[in-house]
Amino acid sequence: MSLQSSFIQIFISHIKREFLINFRSLVDVISIISFMILIVILFVLGIGPFEEKLRLVSNAIFWIGLILAIIPSLEKTLQRDYDNGWLDQTITSPTPMEIILLSKSLAYWLIVIIPLIISLPLFIVLLDINLKLIPWLLISILVGGLSISLIGIIGSALTLGAKRGNILLPILIIPLIIPILIFGVGVSEAVRINESPVGNLFLLIGFTLIYLVISPFISAFLIRIAISR
Amino acid sequence: MFDWLANPNRFNRISEKMQPCILLIAIITLISGLYFGLFDSPKDYQQGDAVRIMYVHVPSAWLASFLYFSLAISCVFYLVWKHPLADLISSAIAPIGALFSALTLVTGSLWGKPMWGTWWVWDARLTSMLVLFFFYLGYILLSNAFERKIDGSKTASVLAIVGLINLPIVKFSVDWWHTLHQPASIIKIGGPSIDDKMLLPLILMIFALSFFSLYMIILNVKTKLIEKKCEALLLKANLEEISKAG
Repeated sequence: MSLQSSFIQIFISHIKREFLINFRSLVDVISIISFMILIVILFVLGIGPFEEKLRLVSNAIFWIGLILAIIPSLEKTLQRDYDNGWLDQTITSPTPMEIILLSKSLAYWLIVIIPLIISLPLFIVLLDINLKLIPWLLISILVGGLSISLIGIIGSALTLGAKRGNILLPILIIPLIIPILIFGVGVSEAVRINESPVGNLFLLIGFTLIYLVISPFISAFLIRIAISR
Repeated sequence: MFDWLANPNRFNRISEKMQPCILLIAIITLISGLYFGLFDSPKDYQQGDAVRIMYVHVPSAWLASFLYFSLAISCVFYLVWKHPLADLISSAIAPIGALFSALTLVTGSLWGKPMWGTWWVWDARLTSMLVLFFFYLGYILLSNAFERKIDGSKTASVLAIVGLINLPIVKFSVDWWHTLHQPASIIKIGGPSIDDKMLLPLILMIFALSFFSLYMIILNVKTKLIEKKCEALLLKANLEEISKAG
């Protein structure tokens, strides 16, 4: 078997592993969605039930809810494997850590995005999102969700073994996520005011591609630092 | 060359000689810059006396971004060549950079009150300076978040480098966001051409604050070196005691 195909196999088996861990219990998945619904409720209660006002900010609320709902569960993605020694084991295996981390972030992306897409109709009803927005919203959360999970893996690796890592993580990664919020909201905002959303979408894709390239290397580097202590 | 500079004793010896000169330059340029800036420069035809805030605001904005750049560069040196001095330098730069970015925000909002009528505008420049401040804050928090100092330094160095990659993107995206939402309505400080009488104090102040922060960084690094020496001596004394008792 060639080296390349064995890497692909390892890649797929790691994604399977993450899926099994997360979907067996379903606790993480349910908590992400319910947390997001609660954030939306908080926003609506804070703004007031005025339809015109809500329609102006519904895209922003959706994206902020998405980002805030993803962040708390990020800390656990690597910390759990670090605590039970899984990371120490895998770092001694011949598979590069970068591939494992790439599969981890892709798995995390799917784990977050699948329930989100299933529950998207709920948010469309709750936030009164225009129906013509839906395909663009779908594409932008697919792309944006990928870059959030790629950045999240970096954040998770940064706070590995840190004191108060769960408080530190949002402070570290929210500044990194700002461009995703801007371009992601930009896509749906452009559709809402009848402009072409392609520019924003391409910028979002470009940003995601940058992180797709650098994120596995940075987080692998960080994990080697964390393991060496 | 960096190997040569990385020796802490040599650093101490060289900085001992350089420090008074740097301080002298900083004081001279600060006094002359403040004199030219506050008394001997024309009022702006639109902004009046409030334009004088610029002589502090622009140098600190410049320094805040420059210091972040040098922070990240020294983090690269630390990670690649593992010079302990590089780590001390970057941890010395961080609080000073954070201070300058905070100063930029404060002076900017002091200037904004009479000019724009509000303390804060969600302008692209202001927002990216605020984000820069949070990058500094993240670096400082992360480098102190570990049991062992060295883990914090390494991890925070990676964060600083990620920040360096990300800052242009943030800057660009905030610009984009701003232009998308409302057209540029803000008067550019000084406009496209700046009077020589205003340029002189501005340059003097940039020099003054740069040399002042260089002085502070060297002072900070020296303090940290002494701290490390104290720790080593304490450790040695403890070991000797233990070996005597044993």
